[in-house]
Amino acid sequence: MKNKIVKWIDHRFPLTSFVKHELTGYPTPRNLSYWWNFGFLAGFVLVLQVATGIFLAMHYKADIALSFDSIQHIMRDVNYGWLLRFMHSTGASAFFLVIYIHMARTLYYGSYRAPRELMWWTGQGLLLMLMATAFMGYLLPWGQMSFWGATVITNLFRATPYFGDQIVVWLRGDYTVGDATLTRFFALHYLFPFLIIGGVVVHLVALHTVRSSNPSGIDLADKDNIPFHPYFTSKDFYGLGIFLIVYCIFVFFFPNLLIEPANNIPANPMQTPTHIVPEWYFLPFYAVLRAVPNLVGGVVAMGLSVMVFAFMPYLDRSRIPGGARYRPWYRAMFFLFAVDMLVLGYVGYVPPSDQTIVVGQAATFFYFALFALLPFASKKEEQWLIRRGLPPEVEALMASEVKEISKFPHRRRSGDKP
Amino acid sequence: MKNFMVLLTLFCFAAPVWGAETKLENIRVDTGTPAIKRGADTLMDICHGCHTLKYIRYSDLASLGIDKKKIDDWRGNQPLDAPLTGQMSDDAAMQTFGKLPPDLSLMAKAREGGANYVYSYLIGYYNTAEGVTGNHIFPETKMPDVLGISGAVDATQRTEIQGKANEVVSFLYWAADPHEEERHRLGYSVIAYLIVLTALLYFVKVRIWSRLK
Repeated sequence: MKNKIVKWIDHRFPLTSFVKHELTGYPTPRNLSYWWNFGFLAGFVLVLQVATGIFLAMHYKADIALSFDSIQHIMRDVNYGWLLRFMHSTGASAFFLVIYIHMARTLYYGSYRAPRELMWWTGQGLLLMLMATAFMGYLLPWGQMSFWGATVITNLFRATPYFGDQIVVWLRGDYTVGDATLTRFFALHYLFPFLIIGGVVVHLVALHTVRSSNPSGIDLADKDNIPFHPYFTSKDFYGLGIFLIVYCIFVFFFPNLLIEPANNIPANPMQTPTHIVPEWYFLPFYAVLRAVPNLVGGVVAMGLSVMVFAFMPYLDRSRIPGGARYRPWYRAMFFLFAVDMLVLGYVGYVPPSDQTIVVGQAATFFYFALFALLPFASKKEEQWLIRRGLPPEVEALMASEVKEISKFPHRRRSGDKP
Repeated sequence: MKNFMVLLTLFCFAAPVWGAETKLENIRVDTGTPAIKRGADTLMDICHGCHTLKYIRYSDLASLGIDKKKIDDWRGNQPLDAPLTGQMSDDAAMQTFGKLPPDLSLMAKAREGGANYVYSYLIGYYNTAEGVTGNHIFPETKMPDVLGISGAVDATQRTEIQGKANEVVSFLYWAADPHEEERHRLGYSVIAYLIVLTALLYFVKVRIWSRLK
């Protein structure tokens, strides 16, 4: 019976071959560590945000006179509305956490390198869309921090040459953040997740073309690949369980931890909060913005601090495989970068004082200096490593990759002669 | 006293970084229903005259287990599902205070420090040298010292007022998030379920991966 139905479908739609090609027969490196779980987790959180968001939208009112009350209606009167709302507000943070870990893994293991540049760039596009979605969603509760956050950030577009003022009005739909801004942010906040889903499809098609990277940093021989299903489905679901435990601890016990107290006060355009802070996931970039004393410079620096990741495939000129694993200099740079991010996050959080401004400027300089140094450092490091003699396991990896008939004969591989 | 001086010195160092927050008293909010009910009594007596709690209805107070007769007294001729709007008109409030008293529904979540802030504010009144009352936590406040802590000199009286403030905070804490108890209860079950599920998923994973040599 089942076979008959499947056959009927297969005549009209490539169901069996699709499942075979993308799941049961899709070759995945068997040496993937748990750091490779986070892409799946990001996809899961995306679904979770869309699902909770749709139900929240059924009770939410996008009107400056009603939106704050409608959130309280959801929190108090709607059946399990508090659960939906806390899942969604915590989910936003979970999304960024998972994505930042996903990106950190890519950077650490050098997964952005050829032939996976398009994966990295589509991922960068997805990050930008995620940031835009989160930013617009934050306006919807119409609290003090919502209003002033949106005011400060839309105001940054004033830095656009020639049309600055017009662009700000065009974005807000009014001279100040108001009802027009709220309704358009709501419409776009509902639209963007579906654009993100489209972007994720492109990301996955690219992934299934170039296949997963792996900790060794080379394309593995066929014998070292195993089918995605059931091996990685089972591993992903186990990782999902761990993720959900952490997520639920926040949803059920600390949901207010990530909501600024000032956002429990309805937006008041006549009263500026003493200290406007963005959500934690924007803090490092906010610190970069504040580190530059001039508006245009600050905006450019902030934009660059987000976009600079896209250049990684060209900035990293080393051909040693395995990312930071076999590359002590790059590893040191990776961890220094992580620490620098934390410093910037702290500087973005605290009210600016003379000391934190200096620290923020130093950390911003250091942030860009690491990227600027990378082309030279990676080249020098490669020469140094080869001169010193690579460990036999790395030599073996590079040799085995040379032997592999690559699907991409033109790309520079780790085993190529310099 | 010595400890107090040490603390005060420490606060002086901390103050430039953290502003008023470190001066807050740290309290344990009593989330039990009796404390919330006593807090409701105090609040309806002395706060509700000027403040609204527009997200709380009289029926919410009834479902909390507050005596039906008491609620009938409070609501007068308003329906049971009416919100706790203020008894003072906006005009009268503007004339008396020069600004509208804030709604209290979310007060326990709307200030840095949360419940600690509200408590410290309520008992933060003192008599200034000029003979008027000031407030340590919110010096610009227009609210009078309704609990009378600034005039209380002996220790028992102060303790009593602090107890009252604590109960008001209990009520406001409940009002800001009435589902908290339900949330915690559900949370324990959900997390217990997830731990079992994750353990099973781990064994599934190990079992499946054991097929690989």
